[in-house]
Amino acid sequence: MKKWFGRIFTPVLICAVAVAAAALGVWYYNFISERIFEDSTGHLEEIYIQVNRTFGAFVERNYGLLTNWGQYFARMGDQSVEDAAQYIEPKQGYWGFSEFYFLTDDGRAFTLYGEERDMELDGCWNKVMKERTPIMAGYTLPSGEDATVFVAPAEHGSFNGIGFDAVAMSFTSADLAGSLKVDAFSGKARCFIIHSDGRVLLSTQSGGSVFGNFLQYLKGASDLSEDSLAALRSDWEAGGSGLVLCSIGETERCVLYQPVGFQDFMLVSSVPEDVVSAGFLAVQKTTILVLAGIFLLVGATLITLLVIRSRRVSAKNRMELQSRDMMYGALSESLDDIFLMLDLDTLRTDYISPNVERLLGIRAEDAERNIRFLEKCAVNGDVFIPMAELQAIPLNGSVYRECEYMHQQSGERRWYRMTIYHTGIRDMEKCIFVMSDRTLERQMNRNLQEALAAARSANEAKSNFLSNMSHDIRTPMNAIVGFTMLLEKDATDAEKVHEYTRKIKASSHHLLSLINDVLDMSKIESGKTSLNPDTFSLPDLMGELNIMILPQARAKGQSFTMHLKGAPPEKLIGDRLRLNQILINLLSNAVKYTPEGGAIEFTVAELPGSSPQLSKLRFTVRDNGIGMSREYLDQIFVPFSREISSVTNKIQGTGLGMAITKNLVDLMGGIITVESALGKGSTFTVELSFALPDKAEAAEELRGRVARLLVADDDEDVCLDVMETMRDTGVAVSYVTGGAGAVEESIRAFKAGESYDVILLDWKMPDMNGVEAARSIRESIGGDVPILVLTSYDWSDIEEEARKAGISAFMSKPFFASTFWNVVRPFFAETSPETRDGVAAAQPAILNGRRFLIAEDNDLNAEILTEMLAMEGADSELAVNGREAIEMFERGEPGHFDMILMDVQMPVMNGYEATRAIRAGGHPEAKTIPIVAMTANTFAEDVKAAFDAGMDGHLAKPIDMDAVRELIGKIFEERKAKAREK
Amino acid sequence: MKKRLLAGLMALLIAVPLTSCRRAEAGNSLTLLGKQSDLERDYMTAVFDLYERSTGNKLKLIAIEDSGFESEAAKLFESGDAPDIFLHFNNSDLARFDVENNFYDLSGEVWVSDLTDGARSYCQDAEGRLLGLPFWESSVSGCYYNKTILDSLGLNPAATQADFDMLCAILYESGYTPICWPADGCSWMPQFGLDPVFADDPDLLKRINANEISYSDIPAVHSMMEWIAGAAEKGWFGDDYLKTGWDGISGSLSSGQAVMTFIWDTWFYTDFTPGKYTVDDFALMPVFLGTAKLGTYEGGNLNMMMVNKNSEKLEMALEFLEFCATPENYNAAFDGISTVSCFLGQTTNIQSRMITDAQDSVKLYERVSTASSRVVGYSGEDMLTVLRRLFTGEVDVDGCIELMDKLRIEEAREQGIAGYD
Repeated sequence: MKKWFGRIFTPVLICAVAVAAAALGVWYYNFISERIFEDSTGHLEEIYIQVNRTFGAFVERNYGLLTNWGQYFARMGDQSVEDAAQYIEPKQGYWGFSEFYFLTDDGRAFTLYGEERDMELDGCWNKVMKERTPIMAGYTLPSGEDATVFVAPAEHGSFNGIGFDAVAMSFTSADLAGSLKVDAFSGKARCFIIHSDGRVLLSTQSGGSVFGNFLQYLKGASDLSEDSLAALRSDWEAGGSGLVLCSIGETERCVLYQPVGFQDFMLVSSVPEDVVSAGFLAVQKTTILVLAGIFLLVGATLITLLVIRSRRVSAKNRMELQSRDMMYGALSESLDDIFLMLDLDTLRTDYISPNVERLLGIRAEDAERNIRFLEKCAVNGDVFIPMAELQAIPLNGSVYRECEYMHQQSGERRWYRMTIYHTGIRDMEKCIFVMSDRTLERQMNRNLQEALAAARSANEAKSNFLSNMSHDIRTPMNAIVGFTMLLEKDATDAEKVHEYTRKIKASSHHLLSLINDVLDMSKIESGKTSLNPDTFSLPDLMGELNIMILPQARAKGQSFTMHLKGAPPEKLIGDRLRLNQILINLLSNAVKYTPEGGAIEFTVAELPGSSPQLSKLRFTVRDNGIGMSREYLDQIFVPFSREISSVTNKIQGTGLGMAITKNLVDLMGGIITVESALGKGSTFTVELSFALPDKAEAAEELRGRVARLLVADDDEDVCLDVMETMRDTGVAVSYVTGGAGAVEESIRAFKAGESYDVILLDWKMPDMNGVEAARSIRESIGGDVPILVLTSYDWSDIEEEARKAGISAFMSKPFFASTFWNVVRPFFAETSPETRDGVAAAQPAILNGRRFLIAEDNDLNAEILTEMLAMEGADSELAVNGREAIEMFERGEPGHFDMILMDVQMPVMNGYEATRAIRAGGHPEAKTIPIVAMTANTFAEDVKAAFDAGMDGHLAKPIDMDAVRELIGKIFEERKAKAREK
Repeated sequence: MKKRLLAGLMALLIAVPLTSCRRAEAGNSLTLLGKQSDLERDYMTAVFDLYERSTGNKLKLIAIEDSGFESEAAKLFESGDAPDIFLHFNNSDLARFDVENNFYDLSGEVWVSDLTDGARSYCQDAEGRLLGLPFWESSVSGCYYNKTILDSLGLNPAATQADFDMLCAILYESGYTPICWPADGCSWMPQFGLDPVFADDPDLLKRINANEISYSDIPAVHSMMEWIAGAAEKGWFGDDYLKTGWDGISGSLSSGQAVMTFIWDTWFYTDFTPGKYTVDDFALMPVFLGTAKLGTYEGGNLNMMMVNKNSEKLEMALEFLEFCATPENYNAAFDGISTVSCFLGQTTNIQSRMITDAQDSVKLYERVSTASSRVVGYSGEDMLTVLRRLFTGEVDVDGCIELMDKLRIEEAREQGIAGYD
């Protein structure tokens, strides 16, 4: 109630004062107007009394003149026209009348010049002649102009022989108007001399003669009623005077009348009311204007003072507001809370903190103008201002809710806790919103939840891992322990010992690979894995893969073929070990998950986009094995993931291979993809880029030594690949697609004197296999030309037969120029016979008779190694640390030791330091003595560290004698080759 | 070939109207040249018949189609084939017929005294020679006013310019449109104001036609245009006068919306449609346009029979005119025709009540139609244009007069009038 009263009191008070002032003004105006009108009409009356007097004097004067002139003519006897004219004309010019007349008692009128005129005298002829009364009457001049004639009876006289009894003179209306014109009232007054019946005798205004009957004019033009007109006429007939107000058209007019004083004539004037009061109105207006001016001045002064005061207050308030806004602005800029004050009645925003632009991407001015701008920010259609909630909040109460809002500029979503306080400020109800950014808090909660989930997951993974490890480790360990026990028991049974030993060995290898994988994975995941790029030979790599995988495939009756697409460079710069690891993983899995009799293909292709500096290669491993389900494909690269099926359950695996492979490919900047379907096999594709060394050595060596090469393969692509590979070597390549064709072409070339320098035959061709073709060629053209067999298969079974048939050497597919040169080089140079096979096969007796210096701190390992070497016919001397190894080497004569097998982690001095010391020593063989690391440090960086220290090779523990033989044999072979070159 | 055929057809088309109206030749004959439509008027054919029957003489009427009349007739005069009698209005077109050398001065003929002043004045040239016998229907143009309305207001018709101004002011105050001024299509109004100017000073016409002076040199023209502009500004023409044309006059007067207009009497019998007011409610007073204190009427445009002074049958032609000017003959010819009288003895024609009532005033203030017919280069269309620009405020009074001169001179130049090169 109080609030309502407070709201309307001021407007009502102002309205009341205004109404009172207006009423006072109207009263004053009416009062003044009435007074002024009374004064004005009084003034008007006075003016026309004066006019009436003037006119009366004018008429009396005319009557007087006429009486005198009448007497003159009566006394002068009969006057001629000339005489009369001579007398009157000067007077005419002086008194301004238009004509002079002599009137006879029989109603005729004659001008001064004797012309007779038709003059009716408004029916007053008898009045003049009988009653001898002067009259005034209307008259129309011959020109048509209206005139007024003044007639005065005269003594009987004679003019131009005509007797007259009255004389008259006429004034044109224009002349009279000039004489009687009332200049007051701005010339807007009309003044008439009229008969009491309204007929107009004359008008004081120019043109006034158009008025015929003034009463009729009032009847037709004014708003006077019939009664008013009748009363007016009665008053006129009674010779009364008065004032009538009427409206003519849109003009209010005052009609003033008064008797002239002779005949029935009335003086009537018609003046516009505003003209009557014009002078007084001017005073009135001036007075009102002055008063209004005073009021306005006082009012303006008061208003000015109020405005100045108000402005001061406003300025102060504004300054306070600005200060407050600045403070709030500065405060809000350092806060992520938005403050908003809303008027509940108008729903207008009183204030919003400027940080709304930073936090929500909305300009504060926009939000102030329309609060709905904020609604746009609400995510998921949240209503920014829940009206129902606002209305439901009790005064001085509050509610809160949490909403998600989107930043209008960046699109970032943030969570706000909005607290709404319902409060009253004076009579106004306000809502204050505090929007606190809770995004970080929410994020932290979410992170915590995610971390918790991750921890749980990790814990679960760890449990799974441990479970897996427990199972996977225990399984081979169980075999090892079990068969070891059986070995002790059956030590005398050679066959069982052999069998138990084989199984222990297999379990050990599995356990070792498991440990290697776990360690690899651990290292990759910890980010400690690094690449060791170096130049390596792609043919060598593929050869090693072939050697490694082919036996496994053959063991399962699978076919394993290798293909080369395009002409990939033979020398690449990259981490050979990691590439080898990737490809072995893929190929091993292919063998592992392809049933017996299946097919495995390995293809290396150079991709478009390669350049002289960079080669992009795609390695594809395709099998027709058991394949994988779509669900498993999604997690194939997740550690410890394995497809669960009746088949896979029987296959050993750690579930880490693919994860390691994926991580290695990623590390090398490549891409690995897989396509697979259950029962339809799998295809793994790895794309990697390799830098290229400057020069292709094989091509240079082939140039000029081999001129012509014949290739025979039923797969034409192979033939084309050979041609492409040899394109830059200067070797002219011809090909045929069958064994018979090869024979035919060889004979043709031989006979034509264009014998081929080398003939390359596929082993398995439909029409005639390579061996048979070679036999036919030898039979036809002799035995000088080298005939090679290019095959993807293990040729050991047919090697003897092939050589008998005339095969010079074997080559593994795919075809590389360098491999080709290595194979054919012995036929074009002085070479030792043992290298003619083209493959440095590991010799079982390579260790026989050798003496090794073994640096090993672990007695058990030392004993195993010593025994194993002894089994190979080799001697060994043991040093327990690096220092001792140096000393023993230094003491030994040149040639005493053939090689040093150096453990790395040893007390006193480790293997790296010892190697560096040996290499730096003064012993004659310090630089040349082969030193091979034999260590449990098996990572790539360990290998690199070994080489960096000056070692010639690296063997991983536990000791694999095959690997030992292979490496040592290779080192010895290289030493021999270098010695030969020297 | 085609061109020849076309030329033949054209000659035939021209020859047909020239010969179709000829009468059979018998006895003495006179040739009379005139517009075809003029020669077909009832009173003309009546007097021709009467003449032939009475005298046994024949009239060879050479009727030329209205379009191209002036040029075709001039060719005949130029080729020596001029007729004995030539029927033509006394307007500026007559100048091309070498009036002085071709036509007989009829001032001394016996019938001249029987002509009304207006008719005689109309047929005279600037030197006072009587060029022809007026034999035509005519009307009087003036200010026709609604007498009933004036009577209802107790008002008299104006006798002076001041009266007229007062009348307009009173009517306007009383809620009437004083003057119906159809500015959208009716151009004749100002010519009424200029007729008395030329009548008062006959030399003025000669000088303006000789391009020695222009409208702007005539003070009365300024007075008239000032008055017209002032009247329009005071609202005396009403609110819609700029949109009112010929068709709007009747409705405006018959409804009583407007009280007066400047027009001719026969209009009330041909174009006026009675409404609240009929023709009986109207009367005639002079036109006041600020140029003549006592007002003016425009006399009718009369066709007159002119005699070829070079004709071999001059006497016979003069006798023919005398025949026509005989009261019994012209009364026979004009019997029942609505027209203002050309002859004092004309009794059988029908004159409107309005003319009869105002005949004294008409007799005093009728002026020969001059401004529209005798000022070279004068064009009603041009007048319409300049007035519209004046009314719309595009030009002031001086600009308006300047434009009047410009357009008139251009028109005269186009017509090849001497002195306007």
